[in-house]
Amino acid sequence: MVAAVPAALAVVVVTVPSAPAAKRPAASTAVGVSQREFRLTPYRTRVPVGEVRFNVTNFGEDVHDLVVRDARGRVLARSAEVRSGGRLTLAVKLKRGRYRLSCDVANHAQLGMRAGFTVVKPRGGR
Amino acid sequence: MARRRSAPAPRAGTAARRPPRPAASAARRRGSSGWTEAHVHRLFWRAGFGATAAEARAWAARGRAATIDWIVDGPPGGTKLHGPAPRVDGRKLDPVNEWGHDQLWWLDRMVRSNRPLVEKMTLFWHDHFATSEQDTPRMLAQNRLFRSHALGGFRPLLKQVTRDPAMQLFLSLADSTKEHPNENYARELMELFTLGRGYSERDVREAARALTGYRSKWTNKGFQGIRYEAEEHDDGVKRILGRRGRFGVDQVLDLVCDHPRHAPFLVTKLWQFFVAAPPSPATVRALAATYRRSGLQVKPVVRQILEHPALYRNLAAPDLVKAPVVYIAGALRTTGSAITDNWPVWLSSTMGQQLFQPPSVAGWDWGPRWMSSNAVRQRFVLGNYVVNYGRPRVRRGAYKASLRPDRAVAIAIAAVGSPPVSAAERAALTRLARHWFDDIPKSWRDKADWRAESLQRTLRHLLIAGPGAQLC
Repeated sequence: MVAAVPAALAVVVVTVPSAPAAKRPAASTAVGVSQREFRLTPYRTRVPVGEVRFNVTNFGEDVHDLVVRDARGRVLARSAEVRSGGRLTLAVKLKRGRYRLSCDVANHAQLGMRAGFTVVKPRGGR
Repeated sequence: MARRRSAPAPRAGTAARRPPRPAASAARRRGSSGWTEAHVHRLFWRAGFGATAAEARAWAARGRAATIDWIVDGPPGGTKLHGPAPRVDGRKLDPVNEWGHDQLWWLDRMVRSNRPLVEKMTLFWHDHFATSEQDTPRMLAQNRLFRSHALGGFRPLLKQVTRDPAMQLFLSLADSTKEHPNENYARELMELFTLGRGYSERDVREAARALTGYRSKWTNKGFQGIRYEAEEHDDGVKRILGRRGRFGVDQVLDLVCDHPRHAPFLVTKLWQFFVAAPPSPATVRALAATYRRSGLQVKPVVRQILEHPALYRNLAAPDLVKAPVVYIAGALRTTGSAITDNWPVWLSSTMGQQLFQPPSVAGWDWGPRWMSSNAVRQRFVLGNYVVNYGRPRVRRGAYKASLRPDRAVAIAIAAVGSPPVSAAERAALTRLARHWFDDIPKSWRDKADWRAESLQRTLRHLLIAGPGAQLC
């Protein structure tokens, strides 16, 4: 079977794969977030000051979104809607403090799709 | 669930990284009692993710019994991961929070562990007790459960899986109450996990009653765990698999484990994981006897399969198709390459196997079904990555156009970890090398070293991703 592998196949070989992904900011912290009816669960609830990347996975059947609010209820970031089985990243720079995450689609937040979240000074301060 | 795994092939070896020293005067290629490097390659691929050239040499010299002992029992000192931990984008893996890092984390264990059989069996249980669409921390916890019971007793594993939050939520066992018993778990318990057939709808319904009582607890901080609440359990009399009683959770699990159909069911599935040809009825009987005699221990059954002559049949013509993650982990392990980027995640997925996301509770379809047209293309793409970013990458200026074709092929084979290469494959590669410079005028050839580099890349790519590399 290998004997049939010709030079034409070999030409493909030389193709160089895509370049490595761009570097993230040094202070970027990933937070996995799962969504389903009607739960919203961040896998990490305390992160250091800086950029926070919410890696959202919608395990549910409905469409969901992710909204980040500060302690006063002001909206700091809002994602696009995530379809069932879909994923999305919402990146936002956050100062020290308490924040709230929710899904603002329909009445999903009232049904339970909300969670608290705290941003703290990194160890060693900054 | 047509789940016959057919498959494949010999390739070279790898990664338990520090192979034992061969006995002083042992023959390099053939150890005692006809145990050769080809046997070692076959065993290491079936029971793990391939052998390095050094491992193949060393274990061929040590002999069959020592090699199988090492694979099954592991080295003294326990499980270790050899080499540096992977970094992606300059950072350590974050399996919980970064997409795909859960898969990279496990693939890395397949590549670097000195207990390849434990990782292989963890993969077996991941497929056997297929769970999907659950939060990453719970899937990772389930993965640890499978690993800790990889070669242990089936009964305790089943009891733990039944209580595992990822499984409970996936098959709606959590919150199945005496008022509203959910049959999902009871059905799969009999059909997919323990018996296959030989039970009735009534058995499923009655077992569902016996399995009631688990409640999930959620707060605004998310999932808080599963609790058994006796008041939610149906403690009435049930009739299950011909037995009558006030069965509870562990009793119904014992009923299916002790059922005459369980042993043949599980040993057949284990056999199909390691051997492409179906087992004979006599083999099933022998394996089932071992399984029962040991008190439903998995390790002696796996050992018996790994010792069976059928596993080593036709070493020159492998017939078991490497599953995508086995293929990827094996390509990295046998070439001495490491995980440095996310590409194994999307390649594995596009080849048809995304870890922690089996397509259904029945798991994946193994065997030739892995080789769809797109999957084959992606398997070829894998070779690009390994040749460009892995250890087999070609150094600039290291090769001359004047290199003899057979020597060029030998260099390429050594560079990818000295996998077993059939005579036909070697001849085809040598032919390719011989004609590689045909389009260049002879007078230019002494300045065509750059073409020698592209020849090396091509040969290495074909050794990693060609037809011979897809089977073990």
